[in-house]
Amino acid sequence: MTPIQDATPKPLKYPADLDTSIVLPGQRASPASSLASLPFRTSNPSLYKLFESTVSTSTSRPSSGTATPTSSGRPGSVLSPGSRQNGTGTPGSLPPGVSDEHRTLIQQAHAPHVVVVADKDTEELIRGKGLDGGLLQLLRPFGEALSGKVTIRDSVGASKSYEDFGVRFVGMDQVLGRPPTSESAPLRPRPVGGDVAQVEELVERHLQYSEFSAPGSVPDNQNQDDPAAQESGNSPFYTLYLRRLLSGLPMVPHETFAHPVVGVIATSSRSATPVEELRDLYNRQHQGDLQVPQWVDGLFLRYYVFIHEEETGDIAKSNTTFDAMKRHFGLNCHLLRLKGQQCISSDDDAVPLPKCEWLSASEELAEIQRQESADEFTDPTPYIPDSDVTAIKTFVRELVAQSMVPHMERNIHQWNEQILARRRGLSGRFMSLSKRWTTFGSSRSSSTYTITSSNSNYDSTGGFYRPDAPEALMRRLADYCFMLRDTKLALSTYEILCTDYNNDKAWQHYAGAMEMAALSALLSPTALTTKMRTEKIDEWIRSATYSYTDRQRSATPFYALRTLALSLELLRLRGTPATDDAARWGSRILEMNLVGPIGAALITERISACFSIRPGLGVLKLGSRRRKAAFWAVLAAEEWRCQNKALQAEKCLEAALQLYGARTESLQGGPVRLPFDEMQHFVDELRQQILGLRLANRGLGEDDEVEEMQQSLLVEEATETLDASPRAHRRSLVGAVAPNIDTGPLSPTLERMPETDDLFEGAV
Amino acid sequence: MSYYFTIFSPTDTPLFTHEFGTSRSSGDGIAHFSPADRHLAPFILHSALDILEEVQWGPSSTAGSAPMYLKHIDKYANNYVSCWITGANVRFLLLTRPRDEVLGSGGGLGGQRGSLAGGRLGVGGGSGVYRPDAPATEEAVKNFFVDVYESWVKTVMNPFFHAGNGHVVKSPVFRARVAAAAKKYL
Repeated sequence: MTPIQDATPKPLKYPADLDTSIVLPGQRASPASSLASLPFRTSNPSLYKLFESTVSTSTSRPSSGTATPTSSGRPGSVLSPGSRQNGTGTPGSLPPGVSDEHRTLIQQAHAPHVVVVADKDTEELIRGKGLDGGLLQLLRPFGEALSGKVTIRDSVGASKSYEDFGVRFVGMDQVLGRPPTSESAPLRPRPVGGDVAQVEELVERHLQYSEFSAPGSVPDNQNQDDPAAQESGNSPFYTLYLRRLLSGLPMVPHETFAHPVVGVIATSSRSATPVEELRDLYNRQHQGDLQVPQWVDGLFLRYYVFIHEEETGDIAKSNTTFDAMKRHFGLNCHLLRLKGQQCISSDDDAVPLPKCEWLSASEELAEIQRQESADEFTDPTPYIPDSDVTAIKTFVRELVAQSMVPHMERNIHQWNEQILARRRGLSGRFMSLSKRWTTFGSSRSSSTYTITSSNSNYDSTGGFYRPDAPEALMRRLADYCFMLRDTKLALSTYEILCTDYNNDKAWQHYAGAMEMAALSALLSPTALTTKMRTEKIDEWIRSATYSYTDRQRSATPFYALRTLALSLELLRLRGTPATDDAARWGSRILEMNLVGPIGAALITERISACFSIRPGLGVLKLGSRRRKAAFWAVLAAEEWRCQNKALQAEKCLEAALQLYGARTESLQGGPVRLPFDEMQHFVDELRQQILGLRLANRGLGEDDEVEEMQQSLLVEEATETLDASPRAHRRSLVGAVAPNIDTGPLSPTLERMPETDDLFEGAV
Repeated sequence: MSYYFTIFSPTDTPLFTHEFGTSRSSGDGIAHFSPADRHLAPFILHSALDILEEVQWGPSSTAGSAPMYLKHIDKYANNYVSCWITGANVRFLLLTRPRDEVLGSGGGLGGQRGSLAGGRLGVGGGSGVYRPDAPATEEAVKNFFVDVYESWVKTVMNPFFHAGNGHVVKSPVFRARVAAAAKKYL
């Protein structure tokens, strides 16, 4: 086994390590050789896996490393939009080069939450398998991607199957919103997201990794290898940013996505009195120390699990216990057969525990830190037997398909009939009026809970509705519909809620309903009229943002950012006229200072992508936003340069020049210059700075290397001026491997741009 | 307030560029761009051409003939772009950068980015004190454009000058006329 670890793992300093890793200056002639000697890439292969989500797209050339980036595992490529799509694509047919990726991401992010509790013996059993996090850690990855399709019946009775349906397993700590109990797992990071600063920090780590240790990071190759990814403007870092923004939604009163829909209560064959244990846990959840906050409905569906340990348990006894459970608790029971022994990777049927995709930012950060400071050969991924995987998959599938989804459908149906239908009718409107103006119509629930002096159900001091108030039930109805992807009913319910919350001056709730109304309208598979878009959705987004930030005492910028970012994505998918709106909301994010520096650069890049997908009309490309897109791409390049992210900056600058048409040849044969001399100057200067930065990032920028860098810059300038054709490999590294120039004309993007430009630009 | 004025040929080549400040309310007539703004101004004007084309070819807002003065058409952060279009498709673009004080709480370009405090600042930008669509502002810009247009017509009457070929205006008299118009109206 490995030697003893340091007691105090110190975080790696990237530039320093890079510097020490370089042994001889002469070897630096080839960047590949210096990269191969990077310390943590070779020594800690498991680290690669952590950054896989961003690395696999940002670098496409596999090198002779221990980890081989597989081109097949590219999640974000346009060419393979994924098998996870189903019939509900955005109407109006997506513009070419635009992938549906973020739309599915948004849908997957809003998944029902399942809270998991287990008794002590069971936790002990699972921990014996090498999983520190207990049952939750074991179940969590399997909830995110269910095997097989899940069929959901919507409010009108039409069934639809979804392949990418999932649930989130959460611990009781997260539901209670308290720090995890220290005895179970010391220093375990909180699985709750909603912290923009942490998301920024995480993406920064990923960027740093790609900047300093990504193999084969010559962006020209990347552009040429992967023109599709380039065209769609999907940065893997942006996807990561969005995903982490949506991971681990916090428990709040104004939205119920994080509220538990089902509670799993587990016991095992190690327990002497399993039925009593289950009862006890239930009682603790109901009244005891595990009781949910008062704004959460405590009467969610309970699902009882009996874990049978194959080695020690007696299956006959377990079966009788399970039968007893069924008698006591009804049909929502499951017998889960697991092996109790710890499994190591060399075992025959061992499979690694799958990675969670929806980790919160703090969790992933902690994971990265742990692995960076970990030892060479320790692979921290726990292994479990194959039979366990099958058993858990069956269990989760049964839980979701046979208990949870029908339960949610039933609830939707019931609330729809009892509450929503009454509100929609004439009498319902009258009721809500009378409730406002007289003390007569005040509902029963608020009289049992008399904090509020007014007759609304809103508790303005605590800022919540009681879970049995009609408003709260309607919100849950709408959220359930949204999670089950019935956007039509969700939308109409959110609309009703908006007026209710507005009357009660429950601004946070109001903003939440507005946000979700906008999202469900944008997600719905039907076409949107221009009027709907410009009048309603714009208004919803605007007032949601305003209400989240300025309208109340404590601003919640995270939610405002979420509203704007998701609207941006969905509007962008809506095609030509909506892309302007998308870009406008993007610049609103920047104006409101909702994001940190990394986010600002990513959003700037995204705005450019929004503009660039807008096609023009006819030969003159009227109405295209090519120049806008180029402008924002230059801005993004500048932003990235300020963050010392050479690779990203270079990518943006390259995109900008493509858009400006500076990658084409003019009629005189030379490269096209930008219209203003100042612009050309600015861009040239930016490119020089980026180049210097890139070299510095590779360890050339240290004091003793200055002359070498200067020399390289000189050579760089020479190639710059001598290159008549812009297709040449302009930014080739000094003395690096011979650039493969001739891929340029083969790429369709390069061929297409010049023709369309020259028609319009004439002799520039 | 600082202004950046550019004449674009029909092929998007800048033919004339002039930079000046306001002469109203004890202004000294000199542009006070911050270095960042200064660099971005050409980019902003160039990108505004996209919007310009849309306004130009889009449905007309006025009855009858198409107007030459297209008013305020685009904005980036605190930079506002107004436009005048001649019969030969030569575009006059004027970028206005109000002083930060006029904008209320100034969150300039990338000003206090990085603070995650949320949006109490800078949201009202533009709707503060300076309004690009206020009648007085529109009228002043229009008068300026009319004067410049008059000088421009005289310039293009020169048989050796072809705006379409990207001939740059070098005449100091033209520049002086533009400066005079700026001083008079802006």
